[in-house]
Amino acid sequence: MLRKTLTEDSFYLNLGPQHPSTHGVLHLLLKLDGERILECKPLVGYSHRAHEHMGQNRTYLQFLPNTSRMDYLGGLCYNHAYCLAVEKACGIEVPERARYIRTVCAELNRISSHLLWFGAYLMDLGAFTPFLYAFDDREDILAILGEVTGSRLTYSYCRFGGVNRDLNQNFLDGTKAFIPKLRKRLKDYRTLVTKNIIFLNRTKGIGTVSAELARDWALTGPNLRACGVAYDLRRAEPYSIYPELEFEIPTATAGDCYDRYWVRMAEMEQSLRIVEQALGRLPEGPVKAAGVPQWIQPPAGDYHFSYESPRGHLGIYFVSDGGRVPLRMKWRTPSFSNLSILSEILPGTLVADTIAILGSIDVVIPEIDR
Amino acid sequence: MNAVVRYLRDVFSGAWSLAMGMSVTLRYMFKPVSTVQYPREAMPLPEVYRGHIELRRFAETGSHGCVACGECFRICPSGVIKVQGLKEEADRPNRAVFYFIDFSRCSLCGLCVEVCPESALAFSKVYEEVGVSRYSTVVDLIARLESQGA
Amino acid sequence: MSDGILVDLRVIWEALVRFFGLEALVLVIGLVVILAWVQVNALFLVWLERKVAGHIQLRIGPKEVGPFGVLQTIVDGIKLLGKELITPQPVSWLLFILSPIMVFTPVLVAFVVLPFGPHLIIRDINVGLMLIFAFGGINVLSILMGGWASNNKYALLGAIRSVAQNVAYEIPLLLSAMSVVVMSGTLSMQGIVEAQEGVWFIFYQPVAGLLYLIGATAETNRAPFDIPEAESELVAGFHTEYSGMRFGLFFLAEYTNMFIVAAVATTLFFGGWRGPFLPGPWWFLIKVYILIFGVMWVRWTFPRLRFDQLMNFAWKYMIPIALLNLLVTALVMKLVR
Repeated sequence: MLRKTLTEDSFYLNLGPQHPSTHGVLHLLLKLDGERILECKPLVGYSHRAHEHMGQNRTYLQFLPNTSRMDYLGGLCYNHAYCLAVEKACGIEVPERARYIRTVCAELNRISSHLLWFGAYLMDLGAFTPFLYAFDDREDILAILGEVTGSRLTYSYCRFGGVNRDLNQNFLDGTKAFIPKLRKRLKDYRTLVTKNIIFLNRTKGIGTVSAELARDWALTGPNLRACGVAYDLRRAEPYSIYPELEFEIPTATAGDCYDRYWVRMAEMEQSLRIVEQALGRLPEGPVKAAGVPQWIQPPAGDYHFSYESPRGHLGIYFVSDGGRVPLRMKWRTPSFSNLSILSEILPGTLVADTIAILGSIDVVIPEIDR
Repeated sequence: MNAVVRYLRDVFSGAWSLAMGMSVTLRYMFKPVSTVQYPREAMPLPEVYRGHIELRRFAETGSHGCVACGECFRICPSGVIKVQGLKEEADRPNRAVFYFIDFSRCSLCGLCVEVCPESALAFSKVYEEVGVSRYSTVVDLIARLESQGA
Repeated sequence: MSDGILVDLRVIWEALVRFFGLEALVLVIGLVVILAWVQVNALFLVWLERKVAGHIQLRIGPKEVGPFGVLQTIVDGIKLLGKELITPQPVSWLLFILSPIMVFTPVLVAFVVLPFGPHLIIRDINVGLMLIFAFGGINVLSILMGGWASNNKYALLGAIRSVAQNVAYEIPLLLSAMSVVVMSGTLSMQGIVEAQEGVWFIFYQPVAGLLYLIGATAETNRAPFDIPEAESELVAGFHTEYSGMRFGLFFLAEYTNMFIVAAVATTLFFGGWRGPFLPGPWWFLIKVYILIFGVMWVRWTFPRLRFDQLMNFAWKYMIPIALLNLLVTALVMKLVR
């Protein structure tokens, strides 16, 4: 434990669980020498709600609303992932239109998640205003998604074999208006933040992660791509309609906070591209496969599915005994693995850098704790 | 000399980036506000808004259409629904006499509305419900529908 | 009837003047006016800050209490007054209680020498500028006291940062003010304003003016130099443990300090109360509030600097440039005269 190594010149600082920039209830036990960090120990579990256990106690459909509550920023992505996993287990064929709709919604959700991250990260760095600009944009996405899902945060939109509801005109019009608007906004963000000398000083060369280190600590998502590894599950293990779409996987080289920031900003632009393409070739047809039973019963066996959530590799593993309720449910959430690298890269940095690094990793606490 | 040039370039490029940033905020200062002054005005709810549930009133009967089949309480992930039916006449279907739901534990997933074979359930657009105790969150939807009048 | 009262007042006034002397009486009345002015000004500035922040961020800001929400800050002040003054058990209580008082008192002194108008000045001391800077230095001490006495790690870190920052930024601040003094040849605030007959010093000394404004922002712990109270790192910095009106005093002092540095900048670089058409005090206030608006605008635009970068900026960029500027000014003045 840390406690035994305390010398006279060092002291402990409990950053969290109640701290303005731990984004919830993350607890970092820091050993400090002045403002320099000697050791860091992330302590998690303050918002553990036993989602996996709940999954083992209810049927597959009943667990669906839970999935968007794990990662409240990427709720629709989690719905999508869970449905894909169960469909893979049962061999359900999803209609073409439903697959497009799901992808569009999941990508919009990814943008909204990145936007919130962008705002919150800048707020961690002390700039309050981009936070509200980002929320203004995110508000548009929530309204668009609300038009079709009926909800703004916990969507529960995907169903086994399709989606709950077909797209309506409000959604299509809203998205059409939103894409150019966000592109314009991203230009403003570039002037206001990306080129800002203070921001560059705060993020360049801070919290550098090499590609090897990232692999060792199982970093995924934008954090890994910032280290120069072009690993994106949408390309590596393609699912849904991603193989048919054109988009790039933005990567950077240095693996510092600025690169992690840059990758996410570039990803937003790519997601906009995906949304545009998918809506452009939206096929007609049903939005839900016929004949999917309400009480779904995957054949006995164990199943795994990997999904690229806004934060990285989301792995869903469940064991079925052929019944209505899964025998075992396990979620590999990206933030949990991404967070653990803090104990490796934080020592030697300053308290102010801690906030910059923690923010750049983009953790969602309820997803870590599940 | 090179170092001096670089030093000055650092100063000027830094200052330029800051000035550009300030021009953005100044521009935004004169844009219309994007907030909605909530208690004074409210956002329009989407048509498919997924709020609390309520029983739909059918025009033909002037009453609810719940037959107490129990689909909703079987699908409910949180188990907050309790519905009881009564068979009034032999050749007519069941009719619900009470429909209790505990809103404090309801997660608004909407599965109950989705499975209802009679389409008797609908989403309510009332989202400002308050009570003075947690017991007041347990509501009999049938009694509520009847108290609202025809 | 009204005549009678006036006569009575005149009698009382003459008696008071005979008893205390005119100088002392003016000082006392001046202080009372300052106390009232400081409060009203701080309330106005808080309201202005919230409005500016709101509109920059596509919001409205306060709008419910009074027209355009101007009374919002008064209500907030009343709320602060009504709150409990929590003194945590392990603090060293004397320093803890003294700190907010000490942060606020020197702020008042500076107003004595601020020239609001050609005649609207309480005392025109011949070392007025020095007086302001000298009493401004006490600010650091009280922040250190508050941070240390709180017995809180965040507060201590904030206090340490604050001291290092203020020491570093006072040097370019004084150096840039000094170049103005070299030009005007006086330390008296009225004298400096009178020396700007015709052309403001900002046109002779643009670099010093910019350095002064940057240094002043850092002195008042305003973003992007607000590291002593960086809320995303140190919760609230040195005033983490303060509540109620003790916190209110820190708050009040911050905004009043802002007014003072802007007023000094106006005096040094922007011609003080000089201006056409309007009487002097109006021009003075207009200039001060425009400067304060600029400071707010900066605050709501930029992220916060890191602590060591802040130091780098002061020692590597600001102090050398300020020294160079002072040197050039002195040389030019020598040649011209």
